[in-house]
Amino acid sequence: MLRQPLTRALALSSSSRIAPLGVRRYAEALAQPEKVEVFIDDKPVYVPPGTTVLQAAAMVGVEIPRFCYHERLAVAGNCRMCLVEVEKSPKPVAACAMPVMKGMRVKTTSDLTKKAREGVMEFLLVNHPLDCPICDQGGECDLQDQSMAFGSDKSRFTDIHFSGKRAVEDKDVGPLIKTIMTRCIHCTRCIRFASEVAGVDDFGTTGRGTDMQVGTYVEKMFLSELSGNIIDLCPVGALTSKPYSFAARPWETRRIDSVDVLDPLGSNIVVATRTNEVLRILPRTNEEINEEWLSDKSRFACDGLKRQRLVTPMVADSRGNLTPVEWEDAIVAAAHAIRDCPPNKLVAIAGELADAESLVALKDLVNRLGGENVCTEQYFPMGGSGTDLRSSYLLNTKIANVEDADFVLLIGTNVRFEAPLLNARIRKAFIHKETDVAYIGPKVDLTYEYTHVGDSASIVKELATGSSNHEVLKRLQSAKRPVVILGADQLKTSEGSALLAFTQELALRLQDKLEDKEWKVLNVLQRTASQVAALDVGYKPGVGAILQDGPKVVYLLGADAGVVTRESLPKDCVVIYQGHHGDVGASIADVVLPGAAYTEKRGTYVNAEGRAQQTLPAVTPPGKAREDWKILRALSEVLGARLPYDTLDEVRHRMAEISPSLVAYGDVQNNNYFAQARVLAQSLQKPVSGKLDVQLKQLEDFFMTDAISRASPTMAKCVQAVLKQKQSPY
Amino acid sequence: MSNIAKFLALDKVATFFNIIKQNGGIRGSLFKLYRQDELKDGTLVGEDKFGNKYFENPRYFYGRNRWVEYSDKFHMNYDGSQVPAEWYGWLHYKTDLPPHLDPNRPKYKWMKDWNENLSGTTGQYTPYSTTRPKIEAWEPKSKSTV
Repeated sequence: MLRQPLTRALALSSSSRIAPLGVRRYAEALAQPEKVEVFIDDKPVYVPPGTTVLQAAAMVGVEIPRFCYHERLAVAGNCRMCLVEVEKSPKPVAACAMPVMKGMRVKTTSDLTKKAREGVMEFLLVNHPLDCPICDQGGECDLQDQSMAFGSDKSRFTDIHFSGKRAVEDKDVGPLIKTIMTRCIHCTRCIRFASEVAGVDDFGTTGRGTDMQVGTYVEKMFLSELSGNIIDLCPVGALTSKPYSFAARPWETRRIDSVDVLDPLGSNIVVATRTNEVLRILPRTNEEINEEWLSDKSRFACDGLKRQRLVTPMVADSRGNLTPVEWEDAIVAAAHAIRDCPPNKLVAIAGELADAESLVALKDLVNRLGGENVCTEQYFPMGGSGTDLRSSYLLNTKIANVEDADFVLLIGTNVRFEAPLLNARIRKAFIHKETDVAYIGPKVDLTYEYTHVGDSASIVKELATGSSNHEVLKRLQSAKRPVVILGADQLKTSEGSALLAFTQELALRLQDKLEDKEWKVLNVLQRTASQVAALDVGYKPGVGAILQDGPKVVYLLGADAGVVTRESLPKDCVVIYQGHHGDVGASIADVVLPGAAYTEKRGTYVNAEGRAQQTLPAVTPPGKAREDWKILRALSEVLGARLPYDTLDEVRHRMAEISPSLVAYGDVQNNNYFAQARVLAQSLQKPVSGKLDVQLKQLEDFFMTDAISRASPTMAKCVQAVLKQKQSPY
Repeated sequence: MSNIAKFLALDKVATFFNIIKQNGGIRGSLFKLYRQDELKDGTLVGEDKFGNKYFENPRYFYGRNRWVEYSDKFHMNYDGSQVPAEWYGWLHYKTDLPPHLDPNRPKYKWMKDWNENLSGTTGQYTPYSTTRPKIEAWEPKSKSTV
């Protein structure tokens, strides 16, 4: 089986020439070969053999200009911009593809090098349009920057015959990426990204010489959940963002570092804003989570932050219609309902986008009133150790370490759409590390080959008890660093607790036999950004039993997943909704308190591996909306159960009292007590017979999963485009 | 005789009683004083279709010798914009002929009825923005149409 593109498998098989892996904590302790000495501009540097000249130069701080070279992609060596002079070499060499040799002397500032760069730049510019003033890449364009830094100071290009420059027809690759193919300089970064990282082999080149074109050959949408990354990769303006087209220049925008909340991984992002408006979201490099990629939903759903917003408090009038009121009236109405309700009939339900601050404030408030019913929408079995041991509900292996795994078993989770960047990691391991993947669940496209074990839950039981005769069991047992990932969606059925118990049994059985005692096998992949923080704080997962008791007041903290419906509540039940979007929750509410979205507040989110990260406010909340913990603090005052914190620092102090990991920003703590959880879960190992099913099967299911992406017109266009592409014969 | 009366300012007294009489006795006068802050006597020149009455008395100096008593239906909420266009000219000395005595006033069927200034009421004109809002707010679905 050939996992890499043919060119790489044949010509570039050297292990250090493939994309370097981000975190190599668990990389095999190979005997390090002796380092070789090379001279970059007469500065000596010792590098391992096989390093390219470009990498060696980077080690001494010499940056060689490049277009096609990208450190996370395979080496192409076709732009020729990185030509440098090497002593005793008759011609300048391409630094990105040239391995170092002992005693090599590289001259990156010599006349020959400069002349070579000027020549390459001149050729590139001959066929590049001069439309920088109307080009969206203007200001962040590699070609602009490098022609200023390394290009010639004068032009020899005179189109005296008005024959025109080379022009290429634009392609239509979907509603996210705008293509202006005349600007393309054929660096092939997008092609390499599509085939290596995204796993979609649609892009390629056709023709040669001046007729060469990058494209899909037939008109076809780029069907990937990571497609937006080729916009960042494109060094020129050939691929730009369609929703952001002609919106702003990079020097006009304010950039605020933040964290994504639309999937459980908590990818690091930069929010670009201007005039109090979120214009676009870009990835921020974090080797431990998202590297430098970002999923399409996280990147393009930001226009959903401007639609369907709750901008004013609302209270239902005598006819049941929500009417805008002042904050005072809404808070008093909410307090009235809560005060009239016996504490055991008050239910608070936290949704998928709630930050840890408001989760803590809500739980404190309910507890102060004497109630205990605080729960999340996502279910998690409470049998055995339940949520008492953190290791039972986290990605214990950690995202970055997954790429060091040698066998991955996925149980009932379509990682590709539930956590696209985790899937990209698995794919990276699959391609570069010969990792094999097995999958239990309905057949889905994970962008790489996997062993499909079946879709019945009993397979997990057989694997855990060792009674299975499937080859996967042998592979798992012989693996040095196996990873088992269980989708949290599977736990909501009645067999969930047994499934979790069997998965724990299986993982621990494997873990006990490992040589590497630090390696963690068990992983539970949560579906939402708030779930881990909620479980850390002590929320009860799932609403089923609590709703059966007939609550009198239901407090929804951004609960939009639709697990609470009017039909499931008693007639006289008062629903208070606090959140930022008018979605499922707000439509059944009697009192609406507008909160802030993740780009509008400083909030703590704990990702699926248990890493606390904070968002920073990029824009102000719209209208009368306020930060969520402040709303709860104000409500507590009116209720006469004042919460003892007035500033964000005091809230975080309270969070640290509950769990220090909630305020250990950027860190992820090692989890323990696997064995104890396994012992407690042993009584739950009951026979299972059901089938495993995943919610997100196809690409069109991926785009609209939460209140923000459901409000986003871009995401709606994506769904339409994918469905249309399905009709296409290609 | 009249000189003596004038000397003793008896004509003023007569005017005072005349004003009281014309404005509807002591109660009526007190009400008009409360409503209009002044009491005047004059000849009724005309009345418009809203019920406003127009008076003139050349005894008062120019600028105060033509005035309007707003219709009772306006109560205390009277203001200058309730004078229709056809009486405006007479009231502001643009013409001495009140509308019903002026044969040269143009009358066309496309002419609109006079409309008072509705600022501050529910009928006021409110300008609207033609730019798209940065934030589109959620509109709750109305539950009952009754």
